Amino acid sequence: MTVTTNISLLAVFPDLEPAADAIDRLRTLGVPDDQMNVISGTPVTEAMLGRPRQWTNVPRLALGGALAGMIIGLFLAFATPSLYPIQVGRQGIISGPPTVVVVFEMTMLGLLLSTFLGVFLDSYFPSYRPMHYVPEISDGKFAVFFSCPQEDSEKITKAMTALGAEKVEAAEAQPL
Amino acid sequence: MASTATHHDHEQDHIAHLREKHLMLDPLPRGRMNEMVMESMHDTSWKFWVVFGILSVIVAVFLFGAWGYMIANGLGVAGVNRPSYWGIFLVNTVFWIGISHAGTFISAILRVFKAEFRRPFTRAAELMTTFGLVQAGFSIFMHMGRVWLSYWLMPIPNQRGLWPNFHSPLSWDLLAITTYLLSSTMYLFLPLIPDLAMARDRTPDGTWQKTFYRVLALGFRGTEGEWTHLRHAMNIFAFAIIPVMFSVHTIVSWDCAAATRPGWNSTIFGPYFVVGALHSGMGAVAMVLAVVQSRMKHMKYFIRGEHFDALGMLMLLVSMTWAYFFFNDYMVQWYGGDKWTQQLLHFHEAGPLGWMWFAMLIFNVAIPWATLWNKKWRSNPWLLFGVGLLINFGMWFERYIIIPISLTINRMPFTWRMYTPGVEIYLGIGTVAFFILLYMGASRLIPLIPVWEVQEGQMAHSLKKYGRETVVTISELE
Repeated sequence: MTVTTNISLLAVFPDLEPAADAIDRLRTLGVPDDQMNVISGTPVTEAMLGRPRQWTNVPRLALGGALAGMIIGLFLAFATPSLYPIQVGRQGIISGPPTVVVVFEMTMLGLLLSTFLGVFLDSYFPSYRPMHYVPEISDGKFAVFFSCPQEDSEKITKAMTALGAEKVEAAEAQPL
Repeated sequence: MASTATHHDHEQDHIAHLREKHLMLDPLPRGRMNEMVMESMHDTSWKFWVVFGILSVIVAVFLFGAWGYMIANGLGVAGVNRPSYWGIFLVNTVFWIGISHAGTFISAILRVFKAEFRRPFTRAAELMTTFGLVQAGFSIFMHMGRVWLSYWLMPIPNQRGLWPNFHSPLSWDLLAITTYLLSSTMYLFLPLIPDLAMARDRTPDGTWQKTFYRVLALGFRGTEGEWTHLRHAMNIFAFAIIPVMFSVHTIVSWDCAAATRPGWNSTIFGPYFVVGALHSGMGAVAMVLAVVQSRMKHMKYFIRGEHFDALGMLMLLVSMTWAYFFFNDYMVQWYGGDKWTQQLLHFHEAGPLGWMWFAMLIFNVAIPWATLWNKKWRSNPWLLFGVGLLINFGMWFERYIIIPISLTINRMPFTWRMYTPGVEIYLGIGTVAFFILLYMGASRLIPLIPVWEVQEGQMAHSLKKYGRETVVTISELE
């Protein structure tokens, strides 16, 4: 029985088009989608790259945060005035307009705060560990990062170069 | 043959003109744009530091010094007294919250409506939101007098068993302004992450700036997942922050409108205040852009006549909307015929500060209408700067008329007394200086141009021939 060892490679392309072609080529060379990632300095959609849809929890977390905010708002608007009643003239302890304001503001705060934290959770931010990256990416290059069997690396490197890769190198984690 | 050649020359001239006019049609390599933005942050003349130093002194003396003096000697050194308990402190609070509305308007509403001209100056506007809200917070803390007891506003049980009364619009203010400050800061930060990563990649190792960018970039690389999460979050923010923005100034307006005072008890105050906020905010954005374009290196590439033109059109539209709300509010109050309201309206126009009422209308309506209809004029940065400055004076006057001047006239004539500001004048100047100081500081540390958003826009724009004419087309990339 032979043991296949995988190697991680980073192919840097000058443009989106060759990067998308490289992804197609990698698939035909047997690299599955879950072993690839595209790193870019501008947002490109999955459709542009011909990649499967990316999963994100941000909308669900946002909804959860909105719900939590609403519950806190309802607690502030209904429970706390009952716990600490302030009788002003003949005004009711709990009334409509303040309740609407308090619940609205807390719901929106919950929604936006959890959206923000959702990006941190889903992206594993902050992360200061060494990572696979090349600084040229923020200058507009597209890097295709993938893992493949060691024995295929030469063949794949040639294929990437033929598609216009400026460099194909073993991906080494480096401090950002 | 000659005719074809002439047509070709015209065509080339037309294309060159389009590229010169529109940033989105004039792309540069991303590396070059990054370099330009980094240079704009680093190339600082001695004049910048002179202005920075002077502003620091003004902030130290006028803001913190005068505030310390007021804390030591009590609120009596300010001019607030019966019947004008709300003076310049609250005028400035409303004014700064108004300034803060421009950031959200430009960044969120124009993003939702996919207005492409917004791209290079969203961050410049968003920074105004955050820094404007800081000044609004300072102003309201000054108004409290015993600022060290400000935690009594928070809904936490304290040693006196006090609890904020949620029936009071002032409690709503706390919730709304806190929500808006937190939301707008997060909304500023999210699209900044990729630009901070760019700055990190371009900053030499071993410098404090490298550590600064490295920490704030959070380890962003630009993977598919990171962009997806960011894109979803920014979409949610763009939609959700708009009602928050509207709620803030509406709630601020209710501080006045919920009281049954002459001149205040108006059902139209909510939208009137929101539009007023946009009016001063847009004017302030125009002023900031004119300064940034002329004083920061390479900014003439990113900020062009087309941006001032678009901003000028928006300012004109907002000015017309403000005039409509002003007239609507005035008309109903005047026609209502209430004795005290009639007295107040007369006092606005013919009282000792009547000049302010007329200046408000001239600065907010007459001057914008007289100048901004002309495309050539409104594309001129310094003309727009001037109009923006006058609008801000006009809007400050409007708040002064609504708050201390309107408080002078009430239903008890024996209490009528003119408001004479004291230390709050210096504190107000201090907040203006602090706002500019924060902005200048940020312009040295934070990429003012969202380079990735500009590049994204440039990728989406192209030229296409329809018959004989070359026109601009935009693809839906997001």
